[in-house]
Amino acid sequence: MRLRISTAWRRVASAVCLGGAVGVGGVVMPVHADETCMSPYMAKIVGQEDFVYVWTLGDVNVGDGQDKLVTIAVNPVSADYGKIVHTLSVGGRNEAHHSGFTDDRRYLWAAGLDTNKVFIFDVHSDPAKPKLAKVITDFVASSGGVVGPHTTYALPGRMMVTGLSNNQDHGGRTALVEYTNGGDYVATHWMPTDEDLRGAEKSGQFADGYGYDLRVLPRRNVMITSSFTGWSNYMMDFGKMLQDPEAMKRFGNTVVVWDLHTRQPKKVLDVPGTPLEVRCAWQPNHNWCLTTTALTSKIWMIYEDDQGEWQAKPIADIGDPSKIPLPVDISILSDDSGLWVNTFMDGKTRFFDLSDPHNPKQTFEAAIGSQVNMVSQSWDGRRAYYTSSLLSNWDKKGDANEQYFKAFTWDGEQLVKQFAIDFTAAKLGRPHQMRFGAYALYAKQPPRQADDTVVATAGQ
Amino acid sequence: MQLPRQRVFARMLQWPSRLRCGVTTLCALVLAVGVETASARAAVNDRVVLAPFYTALDYTPPPAGSYTLPDLGRAADGQVLDADGRPRALSEYLNDGKAVLLSFFYSTCTDINGCSLATAVLYNIQHTIQAQPLLRDRLRMLSLSFDPLYDTPEVIRLYGNGLGRINHWQFLTTANWTALAPILDDYGQSVIRDVDDQGEPLPSFSHILRVFLIDPGRRIRNIYSVAFLHPELIINDIVTVLADFPADLKATAGALHGPGDDKRGYASPAYRTNSQSLPQRRGQAADLLAPLRQPPLGLPAVPYPADNPVTVRKVALGRKLFFDRRLSLNDTVSCAMCHIPQQGFTSNELATAVGFEGRSMRRNAPSLYNVAYHRRLFHDGREHNLEQQIWGPLLAANEMANPSVGAVLSKLRALPDYQGLFEAAFAGQGPGMENVGKALASYQRTLISANSPFDRWYYGGDAQAVSARQQRGFELFTGKAGCASCHLVNRHTALFTDDGLHNTGLGYRDSMGIRPAKQRVQAAPGVFLEVDRHLIDAVGQPMTPDRGRYEITQNPADRWQYRTPGLRNVALTAPYMHNGAFSSLRQVIQFYNQGGVPHALLDSRIRPLNLDPADMDALVAFLHSLTGDNVDTLVSDAFAAPIGDITRDDPHWAHQLAPDALH
Repeated sequence: MRLRISTAWRRVASAVCLGGAVGVGGVVMPVHADETCMSPYMAKIVGQEDFVYVWTLGDVNVGDGQDKLVTIAVNPVSADYGKIVHTLSVGGRNEAHHSGFTDDRRYLWAAGLDTNKVFIFDVHSDPAKPKLAKVITDFVASSGGVVGPHTTYALPGRMMVTGLSNNQDHGGRTALVEYTNGGDYVATHWMPTDEDLRGAEKSGQFADGYGYDLRVLPRRNVMITSSFTGWSNYMMDFGKMLQDPEAMKRFGNTVVVWDLHTRQPKKVLDVPGTPLEVRCAWQPNHNWCLTTTALTSKIWMIYEDDQGEWQAKPIADIGDPSKIPLPVDISILSDDSGLWVNTFMDGKTRFFDLSDPHNPKQTFEAAIGSQVNMVSQSWDGRRAYYTSSLLSNWDKKGDANEQYFKAFTWDGEQLVKQFAIDFTAAKLGRPHQMRFGAYALYAKQPPRQADDTVVATAGQ
Repeated sequence: MQLPRQRVFARMLQWPSRLRCGVTTLCALVLAVGVETASARAAVNDRVVLAPFYTALDYTPPPAGSYTLPDLGRAADGQVLDADGRPRALSEYLNDGKAVLLSFFYSTCTDINGCSLATAVLYNIQHTIQAQPLLRDRLRMLSLSFDPLYDTPEVIRLYGNGLGRINHWQFLTTANWTALAPILDDYGQSVIRDVDDQGEPLPSFSHILRVFLIDPGRRIRNIYSVAFLHPELIINDIVTVLADFPADLKATAGALHGPGDDKRGYASPAYRTNSQSLPQRRGQAADLLAPLRQPPLGLPAVPYPADNPVTVRKVALGRKLFFDRRLSLNDTVSCAMCHIPQQGFTSNELATAVGFEGRSMRRNAPSLYNVAYHRRLFHDGREHNLEQQIWGPLLAANEMANPSVGAVLSKLRALPDYQGLFEAAFAGQGPGMENVGKALASYQRTLISANSPFDRWYYGGDAQAVSARQQRGFELFTGKAGCASCHLVNRHTALFTDDGLHNTGLGYRDSMGIRPAKQRVQAAPGVFLEVDRHLIDAVGQPMTPDRGRYEITQNPADRWQYRTPGLRNVALTAPYMHNGAFSSLRQVIQFYNQGGVPHALLDSRIRPLNLDPADMDALVAFLHSLTGDNVDTLVSDAFAAPIGDITRDDPHWAHQLAPDALH
């Protein structure tokens, strides 16, 4: 199995990617992608990643019952390939969810949607053994009542943290909260509501004030945010919620276009049905981002039209929307030519061809497990990693509650499984978001190992 | 109020000519009440179109700001349709920092002293203020039709087109009589459809003209009738009330109660958000002990245990504890997260509550309004006083999940912002199991609410306080519908509960797993999906069935019995029943009207009631008359209360990490 990916294996290089070029060893080359969902301001792994850091939810009935950062060796040359090399428990079940590096990629910020803690891990001192450097415990108090830190997104020298809820009613109205890389509170940017649009235009019927994900297009000075639901819903038993008509009214129906530089909301777009992950295109002539709506199962394009106005339109159905396949994580390819879309309910990953980005076509699907949530792909698109957990109380119940990390290769036609780790059997919990680590980011060498062998580099 | 079909047709055919006619009359009136010019006066004198009961203003109106206008109560909300047919909340128009002139009309009105006059006056005001930017930008005029049958959105759009283009003058209607009736009730707008000699309904209405001046804080500040509906007077009144609301303090006092995330009308594809800004929710501390000194009309003296007299310090401490999210194991759940003040001290957003780590509860969070009077607490009546009750949720694993009494007390002793507070409230005693209960009980005992329109009518003798429909609803409530056999109304006061426990069949239905094979699930405004039960079961943890009072007594006869809730402020506390099964009061009444869920243990008082739709509307109207007059005071006080969230000063293991590790 390892041979299959050896042709795709390249040396690790790191570079700061900004303004349309990546510097690798003094050579400027066109940007292909992030790996592939990260901030454009961030140092990149353009070759083989050494580690996947899995932000994992504690399960009250499993192991030590608390959230942890799990480090998995994924470089085929490593003697530990396919193994868990480190776990770091952080205390409590915080509803571990998303994580993101600082722009210098030295620290990983991993947030808890329930307890509002942000755990800041040092991943540069020893990339194989992250250390807990700081815990932001006063996120709610310092932000003026924002609950549910979600996306931790690198801006130059700063981190923008999206909230999902608030401490007044645990509903969906919320804000973005800005921090320094040092973990000091900077500012709270409230999502626009009808009462206070904060200068934004309510372009349609909705200005719900909800939040979820955040991405930027620096070239267009644009920041895009999406909208999910408040604490009461994201913490609630999924089956109970589906039967509660009041709760089902509390989902986001908006995407907000912001002025990135001034942090001011400019336009509230109607995107009904709970737009979650946002991925912006990378090509310099692509002024668009994609999102998927969880409840109405559509891919939406957020785009700048010929008049320079930002608009939203649905461009494809995902599976059979009437069956609520529940699209969750998505991942755009380096050259904007395709999009991975995972659907939680049927455990499938689906590949959409984006040759015509206005008309995506599904060209591939495969079941990854009984449930699936996150997908992360490598820079070159040849490796894709999957985890299973959505939210602790939304995951499937009983035997269908498989909790796994799975590594695949992708050759454009087939996903081929390389290895899998059963997180329940390993007494770890519910694996959620994955971020990549590499020694070369910090000009470090892997420790010498007895069976260390050189694998030929093939490059692209 | 249905017309025979052929009459409807006939009316529709003649409608355009009637509208033309109405506008002609209106134009004449505009001249009549217009800016005082010689030619206008001449026109009046020549044509005598002045309404018989309407005379020109014969005195100089008092200068704006030289007087004050009293607060006449909160301007009620309701579901309306705009001229494009979109469902809107009336409050959306009362909530953006503007003063509002609200009038009621119907497009085919020909009564020269009625809506035509009001429309003419509004037209005049609109014209006059064009030259006054402050007024032009800070005044909105609303004309709401009381004829939903004929005044469709299209009709009011046509009607308004000739009138409302210049300024913020909007024409609204309602979807049907059910939506309109509570609005008319709340504004005391009496409307009776005329009938002919045979008792057949006529197209016209008899109504008393009223125009309401509503300030930017959503309070009614003046009510005009034909006798003094003069533009000059009204404009001075508007300037007077606007002076209380500097332009930069936009709507800070607006819309206090009700979910800030307004989802009324969400079932419709035309739903529009009406969301409030969180950072703009600012409140004002209230004198919470006032109702203990003097109970409001309709309620008896507030009882309290001999060993826990209510004091200012205990209430202040209890209020701080109530909003303190650190009172749960992981610092996320306070009392107020389920008993949300602006949502009726319950949650309007959940059928059954969600606690620590999202764990499910089987029951709806009960409202805390007037909880001081309860002799039994919890839906199953298992506790008897508030001092003890609080330790239930504090220690329940699916609520606040504290591991022990001692753990709660240790935490309170260590929190720096509690230093000295218990000692000051309890004669030197620090935090203890009893003192925590006493403090929280003291705050909850101040959540008293009455002096509702019903109280002012029934106990206060104010015949105008409730509408005829609400009186009819009360008749049914105490008569044919039999509600008052459990929701008691006494001679001088009413708690609307017998403090007893009864079986309506709802608990039985849930326990027996009686549910449809498919679940209707809303995915977005106007988007519903029929979801297979197996899909829901795949992601749902089975709940332990709820057997009600039986779980406390172990007596099989007590299965599925739940406490009778009081009904004061019931319009604010949806969803309803112990399991939050019903979203609206109409659904609750429908449930009782059909006789609950029949089974062997069904309470004998629950039987089919044979209420017709008008009866049920009247009952709903009556229940809306039970909203106390101090709701906004209590909500505002709650907004002013600090919310306890963990700070860097609090003890926490993570604060031991090197503080500047990242710098």
